[in-house]
Amino acid sequence: MKVEYINSFYKATKDVFKLMLDIDPERKDLKVLDDMACSREVNVLLGVTGNLKGSVLFGFTKDMALEMIKIMSGMEMDKIDSFASSALGEVGNIIGGNALTNLSENNYICDIVPPQIFVGEYKSFSLASDKGLLLSLDTPIGEFDINVFLKD
Amino acid sequence: MWKDSYRVGVELIDEQHFELFKRVSDFTRVIRSNENWEDRLEKVKETMSFMQEYVIVHFDDEEVYQEQINYPDIEKHKAAHAKFREGINEYVELFEKEGLSEEKIQEFGGKLMAWLIMHVGKMDQKIGEYAKSKEGQA
Repeated sequence: MKVEYINSFYKATKDVFKLMLDIDPERKDLKVLDDMACSREVNVLLGVTGNLKGSVLFGFTKDMALEMIKIMSGMEMDKIDSFASSALGEVGNIIGGNALTNLSENNYICDIVPPQIFVGEYKSFSLASDKGLLLSLDTPIGEFDINVFLKD
Repeated sequence: MWKDSYRVGVELIDEQHFELFKRVSDFTRVIRSNENWEDRLEKVKETMSFMQEYVIVHFDDEEVYQEQINYPDIEKHKAAHAKFREGINEYVELFEKEGLSEEKIQEFGGKLMAWLIMHVGKMDQKIGEYAKSKEGQA
């Protein structure tokens, strides 16, 4: 698991947040993970195939996820329904697409599997001894995580 | 939903983007309102047919403009348009087959909003940047 994998997703996230939400996320902790588990309430899971295989999980608090949709739509949101899930999934998809462009600059050619949204705690155990990386980011509307489990 | 920073600097494209944002904004307001779903269906149907027609007109106009200025990323841009058209058509087919369920319309609305913001806010900005850089050279 190389740091450039997570950097590609970090950079893509920063760009997309800036553009869609006018928010500049600040990098906080980077931790090594044994399993992909997220205690956040709203999770967006992206599958990656190609030269790199695995998954990337974005974990948000419910309040932050709702605030993101509110910023985009200009409308109050009070629940993660299919409108909010679908918009968050599309944001994940766009970040994923941008991250793939960043990865292709390092000669990794990959594809994204359409995102899945999980409301509630997410837990999935990785196989063998693969480790993942968790990057926490801070924004004025809350903290969120990017979990990256990729191998070549 | 619309921000002035989304302007590309090409009058025709900006006008069409503004109209697209207005329609998507109205559509979002209608599908998010608390009124009876049956009462909102007319507006939903109207927007669906508008999107199908207007998106084609807009994409065609934008692609013609890109050809006129010899925009180097035109193929990539055309591919993004094709993907979007395909995405709309998939929902149209689904709605024709299964009817307009509120759940699926909400899903479509969320995706449409995020896609429009990102496409106009990022990809289309590059057309404007390129056009400006060409003007600078002329």
